[in-house]
Amino acid sequence: MEIHKYEKWWLVFGGGTLLVFLIVLGVSAFHGGTHPNNSKWTINYEKVDEIAPFDNPGVHKVEGKDWDYEVVLVAQAFAYTPMEIEIPVGSKVRFIATTKDVIHGLGIAGTNINLMLEPGYVSEKITTVDEVGEYTIVCNEYCGTGHALMYSTLKVVDPNDNSN
Amino acid sequence: MTKQKKSSDDNLKGTLFATFGVGLVIIIVWVYCFDLFIGRF
Repeated sequence: MEIHKYEKWWLVFGGGTLLVFLIVLGVSAFHGGTHPNNSKWTINYEKVDEIAPFDNPGVHKVEGKDWDYEVVLVAQAFAYTPMEIEIPVGSKVRFIATTKDVIHGLGIAGTNINLMLEPGYVSEKITTVDEVGEYTIVCNEYCGTGHALMYSTLKVVDPNDNSN
Repeated sequence: MTKQKKSSDDNLKGTLFATFGVGLVIIIVWVYCFDLFIGRF
């Protein structure tokens, strides 16, 4: 089989690019932890309010763990508890969330945090919030008539800034 | 015969540059999106 010279160049270019993309994907998935929720943590969605940590939603400072804060979020049609989250910039945070009724989303606009909340499962994400700002948390899984009104706010604040 | 082969090479040059162009556009957009992803928390 004869392959034209230009076709060889193109095959090398295309194959090389594909290889780079796959390496980046592999490193992101296996080293960076970019993957769907592992669905190993299950919960009785009818008793979410009684089960820890969801019996006490909000921001909790923790000691002796790999992260500084735990943010516990409960989603239900059509709101999140809590409505507002405030975290100091630079903190390592573990977001833990679940839903009390139907499937909801937990997308934090302008960040890479994007979780799907399924009844009976707990979703989590660990990240370091390294940029000050006010980020809107939106439901990005259609959950009913009030879907568009379902939001919460993440405030990443600088503890040394007293201007506000 | 040789002359015919050469003219075939010339005809493919435009195709090569066009496909490289498409490839470069894909790579530039991909790198831009990946940079957005890396820059966010």
